[in-house]
Amino acid sequence: MKKGILLLLSSILLIALTACGTSGGNGNEEEAKVLKVATDAAYAPFEYLEGDQIVGFDIDIINAVAKEAGYEIDIVNTGWDPMLIEVEQGTSDIGVSAITITDERKQSYDFTSPYFLSNNKILVKEGSDITSSADLEGKVVAVQNATTGAIAVEGLLGENNSDIKKFDNNNLAILELLSGGAEAVVADDTVIEAYVENNPDQGLVVIEDADYFAAEYYGIMFPKDSEYREDFDNALKAIIENGTYSTIYKEWFGAEPNLDALNQ
Amino acid sequence: MNFNLEIIWEYAPFFLKGTLLTIGLSFAGILFGTILGLFIGLGKISRNKLVAFPFQCYITFFRGTPLLVQIFLIHFGLVPALINETNPIFAGILALSLNAAAYIAEIFRAGIQSIDRGQMEAARSLGMNHIQAMRYIILPQAFKRMIPPLGNEFIILIKDSSLIAFIAAPEIMYWARAMQGKYFKAWEPYLTAALIYLVLTLTLSIILNRLERRLATE
Repeated sequence: MKKGILLLLSSILLIALTACGTSGGNGNEEEAKVLKVATDAAYAPFEYLEGDQIVGFDIDIINAVAKEAGYEIDIVNTGWDPMLIEVEQGTSDIGVSAITITDERKQSYDFTSPYFLSNNKILVKEGSDITSSADLEGKVVAVQNATTGAIAVEGLLGENNSDIKKFDNNNLAILELLSGGAEAVVADDTVIEAYVENNPDQGLVVIEDADYFAAEYYGIMFPKDSEYREDFDNALKAIIENGTYSTIYKEWFGAEPNLDALNQ
Repeated sequence: MNFNLEIIWEYAPFFLKGTLLTIGLSFAGILFGTILGLFIGLGKISRNKLVAFPFQCYITFFRGTPLLVQIFLIHFGLVPALINETNPIFAGILALSLNAAAYIAEIFRAGIQSIDRGQMEAARSLGMNHIQAMRYIILPQAFKRMIPPLGNEFIILIKDSSLIAFIAAPEIMYWARAMQGKYFKAWEPYLTAALIYLVLTLTLSIILNRLERRLATE
């Protein structure tokens, strides 16, 4: 009897969730459609909230790309997990959130060609004996859940190793390092370098290990077989060629972009 | 929606470990929260305003701020100050116990105050002192009335323990998020987590129902 109740409850839950999942999206009004762009606006300088405005490098890029492609877009801060769900089932048309293109992700999503080159680096306290990725073994490492930094550390320490502490965002991971709960943080260079630059008094240093951490490329994410992907891909190539991309890049990072890496 | 049972199977050992930790955290939270809650509740009903005031402040703070904020404050502030490093399990138990204590204190207070004043007077006229009357006459009667709201609080506590995933304590929600991060799938991990929490809270309410029936006077 009790088993019956449990089964009933869980199936109700499942049905309710599936029902929510399949409804919505795939609007059939053709021309006037505003494309919904989902993002997780907690990853400065790529996308973050300034007051209630979503700003950042990715936001400027997607706006420029959409303008070039002739689409109107509406950028919504959904958070990371909901963004993945929305894009997968098509309730959002596009996802932009410093998303690294990986083979695993390609199975569930389509991507444009890369629009950003990134490297994972190691953040440690000054005077730490960690000098390369090899030194991370046996150490507690804090990472942001679901990032390539987390995957890279799992490659070193073993998948689901309890020495890897997965946090909701990089700020919490860095706080864990500062509070003595971890000896290193592994994350995208742009983000940790910006943190060190903004907090020079906290005695943190960034360690590069290009031998272990492979270059990564961010892409604009679409549902599988999206009708918009190709237009956006072409528009992205166009703004890289006409210099709009470089202008935006210089605005946010104060340096020239490595366009050769993107064109590979 | 394509549902991949294989990856749930792959993560089953982690969910099992996570479930054990969730049970442990919740149990510790319930135990310490109830003990602490009893004292705070008794403190709050003290006639001496000066004695009651700090307890009142405690309840106001822990009931009036979000648990997630308390978890962060305890994990990144209090625990490093105490033991010079972070410890998500220690911080989690501390946060759950302190938070639950505020709610349980109010349950105790309401339970005690719901007992007719005549019971205390009768006990005192039998020659019991105030503490004896509380211990043997008031609290046993109050406790029976407190079981439903306490059960409610315990169920909320089990579910709230999922917030401890935010400080990387490897409980159910932590593994669900880790699994989500690996496969970029949301349904499989979160539905699995939902089902486990449902089993835990259902089990607890069955136990509490039994207890309530056993303690019923008729």
